Amino acid sequence: MSISAMFFYALSAAVLVSAVLSVTSRNIFRSAIFLLFSLISIAGIYFWMNYEFIAAVQTIVYVGGIVVLIIFSIFLTQQAGVSLPAPMKGRMIYAALASIAGFVLVVMQLLAHPFKVDNSVVASRGIKDIGHGLLETGANGYVLPFELVSILLLAAMIGCIVIALKPNSTTA
Amino acid sequence: MSFLIDYIRTVYKSVRSLLIGMRKTGYYFTHHKEIITQNYPENRDTLNLPERFRGEVVMTHNEANEHRCTGCTACELACPNGTIKIVTKFDITPEGKKKKALDTFVYHLELCTMCNLCIEACPTSAIKMDQAFEHSVYDRRLLTKKLNKPDSKLMEGVE
Amino acid sequence: MLSIAGIANSIHQWLNETFSSGWATLLEFVLVGILVISFFAFLGLVLVFMERKVSAYMQLRVGPNRVGYKGLAQTLADTIKLVVKEGLTPDGADKFLFNFAPFLVLIASMLLMAPIAFAKDFQIWDINIGVLYITAISSISVIGVLMAGWSSNNKYSLLGAMRSGAQIVSYELSAGLAIMTIVILAGSIRLSDIIASQENGWWIFKGHIPAIIAFVIYIIAVTAETNRAPFDLAEAESELTAGFHTEYSGMKFALFFLSEYVNIFIVCAIGATLFLGGWMPLHIGHWEGFNHIMDFIPSSLWFMGKTFFLIFLIMWFRWTFPRLRIDQLLNLEWKYLLPISLFNLLLVTFIALMGWYF
Repeated sequence: MSISAMFFYALSAAVLVSAVLSVTSRNIFRSAIFLLFSLISIAGIYFWMNYEFIAAVQTIVYVGGIVVLIIFSIFLTQQAGVSLPAPMKGRMIYAALASIAGFVLVVMQLLAHPFKVDNSVVASRGIKDIGHGLLETGANGYVLPFELVSILLLAAMIGCIVIALKPNSTTA
Repeated sequence: MSFLIDYIRTVYKSVRSLLIGMRKTGYYFTHHKEIITQNYPENRDTLNLPERFRGEVVMTHNEANEHRCTGCTACELACPNGTIKIVTKFDITPEGKKKKALDTFVYHLELCTMCNLCIEACPTSAIKMDQAFEHSVYDRRLLTKKLNKPDSKLMEGVE
Repeated sequence: MLSIAGIANSIHQWLNETFSSGWATLLEFVLVGILVISFFAFLGLVLVFMERKVSAYMQLRVGPNRVGYKGLAQTLADTIKLVVKEGLTPDGADKFLFNFAPFLVLIASMLLMAPIAFAKDFQIWDINIGVLYITAISSISVIGVLMAGWSSNNKYSLLGAMRSGAQIVSYELSAGLAIMTIVILAGSIRLSDIIASQENGWWIFKGHIPAIIAFVIYIIAVTAETNRAPFDLAEAESELTAGFHTEYSGMKFALFFLSEYVNIFIVCAIGATLFLGGWMPLHIGHWEGFNHIMDFIPSSLWFMGKTFFLIFLIMWFRWTFPRLRIDQLLNLEWKYLLPISLFNLLLVTFIALMGWYF
């Protein structure tokens, strides 16, 4: 096994183990931290594949944004430090059945799809290409999703401001 | 528009005040002669203590071994933490009357906070603050001092 | 000519000739790791001593002057004290997270060392997303702070961690926008390209007004991001008794302390790279003779000189300004720095399009 493959297996193991720990942990803050490890390991896999841009975006969005948001909401929750009670037996059985069914479904799809190994060298896409691609209207352009996401974010920001604004009794 | 002018003015003012502060500390950083820290054990002989530095309470005596303490216990009453204990005795005056006088001025240096209240309370200015500060001893009892010198007497004319 | 890059290259060649390429890479990992850790230790010693001396002189004191020549061994003595001290773990703490948090903070600092160019052609990893990588990794360290504050099971630590989190998350914005200014001017986010674009003058001179505004905003924002006074509310020893690391002692505290100073070095190194030309010597236009003399100074000295100048600037802030309140802190970011940097970004885009920079 080459060293490169060893890195891949180590990273994948980190993703899976921390994902499992994140679900099974009875302490909500630990769950968030294991989720963080899982997300960072995924970023590591992107780095291993030489997709640095995706890796950096993964780190910024998930680590710097979402996990921090989750942690903050945990901090602001009552009794967040208390470990959760063990779930009921019946629920555990149903949850296990549901997840096994989902797993089987995914594996069936994976096996049904013939993955062709494409050995043609893909020109590495630089930041400039990504930037142009985001604003292109052509075949590989992403201008519509880009604009849609922008409008969604703008709406969210305006919503935040409206919620945060205190009703001013003198002018209203 | 006036909002914008106010905004820019606030930014300008705050940046300016920060720069003034930085100029002061920058001046101190480059001018080492302003340093007030003293190299204490080395410069022990030339130590330059501030005027109002308080080290311990002492009683002043003149050349004839006379002090100005009448034993009125005003300092003992003024002391917030019982540092001073005045032991009085009765002298027989030439007229044959008994008169209260100081026997021992006990001063517990280990309790003293150098608050200066006793000095202010003293009606006859018998005690004052001294600047000696090297008080370390190996035995706590050595810090209990007797301020009036042996065989010292009350100065003439101090009531 | 003997240069740091030459030594690094010959080691790389020797390793690749002796071992297979995979093992050579692995050995290089180990080598770089050891070098980075020893550099951290060196930085900790130097910067703590520098901070104590700078603060002393600014407050009309002398500072450490007893241990060793002129007090130079003082931080070494402090380090020995910290190493032999007991690392206490509180009873009610989440033991795993409590012990892991200082390492996470330090790992984030170690990862940030990768794209910094210490000298000409001497860089651990010339990654093509340079500044984006820095922004991404620096967001990991805030998790370490939050983790430390939570797992200590102490209300002061929790408050400190929350303040720190809010502060870092909000100031990352204006730091990022200030970096974007230079990215627009240089036209690349790879750090080596940004340095190469400053061959005929540093961006702070070439980019005149917008670059200077961006530089000021960057310095303010990174001072806040590294939790240093006047933005040290997260630690605030007088109100929160040192905030998120109240419960830490011994070596675990030392790791937090070290990572604070390493982070200062890193942000100053990045600031020096973006605004002051990294290892590029001071070149002025077409003054051939002057430029030639400047080239004789080694590039590593240029880099270190600029970085330490910025570190001194940040220390100067710390020992001059009083601490901000939390509302003042957020006002400064959201009402002043962010609008100004957004406007500045617009200005610099306009200037870059019109070609009004030198």
